[in-house]
Amino acid sequence: MDISKAPNPRKLQLCRTYFMTGFALLPFVWAINVCWFCEEAFRKPPYPEQAQIKRYVIYSAIGTLVWTIALISWIIIFQTNRAAWGATADYMSFIIPLGSA
Amino acid sequence: MDATSATPPDADGSLSGATERLERPPKRQQQQQQQQQRTNYGTNNADATDGAVLTVPSVVIRESGSRPSRLNAGGNDGGHSSGSGPGPSQHDIEEEQGLKYGAQHVIKLFVPVSLCMLVVVATINSISFYNSTDVYLLYTPFHEQSPEPSVKFWNALANSLILMSVVVVMTILLIVLYKKRCYRVIHGWLILSSFMLLFIFTYLYLEELLRAYNIPMDYPTAVLIMWNFGVAGMMAIHWQGPLRLQQGYLIFVAALMALVFIKYLPEWTAWAVLAAISIWDLIAVLSPRGPLRILVETAQERNEQIFPALIYSSTVIYTYMGTHYTPEETLPTATATATSSPSFSNSTTTTRATQNSLASPEPAAGPSSSSTRPGNTRTNQQRQQDNPSAAEEEAAGFTQEWSANLSDRVARRQIEVQSTQSANGRSNEYRTVTAPDSTQQPEAQEERGIKLGLGDFIFYSVLVGKASSYGDWTTTIACFVAILIGLCLTLLLLAIWRKALPALPISITFGLIFCFATSAVVKPFMENLSAKQVFI
Repeated sequence: MDISKAPNPRKLQLCRTYFMTGFALLPFVWAINVCWFCEEAFRKPPYPEQAQIKRYVIYSAIGTLVWTIALISWIIIFQTNRAAWGATADYMSFIIPLGSA
Repeated sequence: MDATSATPPDADGSLSGATERLERPPKRQQQQQQQQQRTNYGTNNADATDGAVLTVPSVVIRESGSRPSRLNAGGNDGGHSSGSGPGPSQHDIEEEQGLKYGAQHVIKLFVPVSLCMLVVVATINSISFYNSTDVYLLYTPFHEQSPEPSVKFWNALANSLILMSVVVVMTILLIVLYKKRCYRVIHGWLILSSFMLLFIFTYLYLEELLRAYNIPMDYPTAVLIMWNFGVAGMMAIHWQGPLRLQQGYLIFVAALMALVFIKYLPEWTAWAVLAAISIWDLIAVLSPRGPLRILVETAQERNEQIFPALIYSSTVIYTYMGTHYTPEETLPTATATATSSPSFSNSTTTTRATQNSLASPEPAAGPSSSSTRPGNTRTNQQRQQDNPSAAEEEAAGFTQEWSANLSDRVARRQIEVQSTQSANGRSNEYRTVTAPDSTQQPEAQEERGIKLGLGDFIFYSVLVGKASSYGDWTTTIACFVAILIGLCLTLLLLAIWRKALPALPISITFGLIFCFATSAVVKPFMENLSAKQVFI
């Protein structure tokens, strides 16, 4: 849908819904929220709902960032320690890379 | 104001000229129109070439502009038509939109189709999992294990017949459900199938992708990725999301479905199915009792968006900011009539548009056009703004869906040109006749594009992917070009006939011919040439 044509309360509602949905372990939804409402929150001429939208966008961005960092650090920790952790780590592995001959 | 919007630009003069002449108001106004024409040509010169390249939607849109002039000439005199203030701006908007959303849409359709094929071809070439068939679909009980071509042939024939009968049954089931207004059942069906594709098949895809590139991953990360991807996809497809995201998901889903077909259909059956499905497409859309045609007509009778769409549209289909809340305009037949001259209403499907346009001068229009009367328009608008979510829900529900089910793919397989501008022209004309407050008119602009069913994406991609699975790039590119040419021809026919057309037959026929001709004739020839070192 085209967000620029929606009325302002609707924008706020959508932004809030996306923000709330993001709490269900959905950082991708937060990222979408940031991309989608970034222009609304920061570039458009001010309107009453903008302050709230801005707040949700900023929180979503923070959430996305935290998730990204957490995920990357988890992946690095897991992959570097996989051999050391033994059978548990193997059990947790989705794909174990094959060695090249 | 309407005389200005009545100016037919030279880009579509050949097509719109005839109706224009038929509807031409008195001579004095004609001269005014011509004057306006000249000025408009001056302002829009840069864009005129754009419109001239692809006359398809510009014809539609311009014609829409021409309609108010006729009615206004009937209702008011010519004096009003050229003199009122908001005219030029309105006209400029229409002009601009016509050019903007006209020619580009044809190109916009090429990009997603190419992207979808690209995804499939890249996957086929990099992931060997999708290249080999070891498990088969339930619908194809004959597995073509025999080395004899004749046995393979009848296996393929039987398989494709079974598959096609499933398709037909599913389509009819869908029509029956739609006729009985079981929207919840249809929605549930669509959501279930999209759920399956977005979670289960994507999971398989992710696994094979990671395995092919030997990328390590642990289960928590994989589950998190799947969860995020799937839920965001469901939100974007079935609820609301950014247009780009939705388009991306639709393309991905179509590509995934094509990969499933390539993977699980036996060799010859895939080709037979391609041929059969394009024939079925032809029948379903064009024959008088064809299911898809019935679908279109039913949707039109109910003033609804065309069926739960399963359709890729090049722009937003999103009516709730419109000043009128009649999705009727999105129907291809309705738009076709709206764009052709109303005096030619001889087919059954055209009656509604004709009634509307003829009844418009009086405020008390017939019951069929009640939703487009200005009073109702305004209340509708208010109601929508008060309760936008409901309106949106409906709009979203009927446009953004897709499914993996066979019948749905059949339903998707249609191209429609949608000219909202024509629809808006119609609604504007009511407004100007009865209540000339044209301040809201720019808001009434909706975006409409050419729509292509996701099923078309799927089967185009199946063809190209199947061709590329033999590892021959010449054949692949030949198929790709053939399909795009077929699509071009379909769009051309769309401009001529202006009704929903099946997009598969021409493209698939071309694709099959090019594919087999290239692999049987051109490739050996090229190999021979390079073996003899002719190219050096």
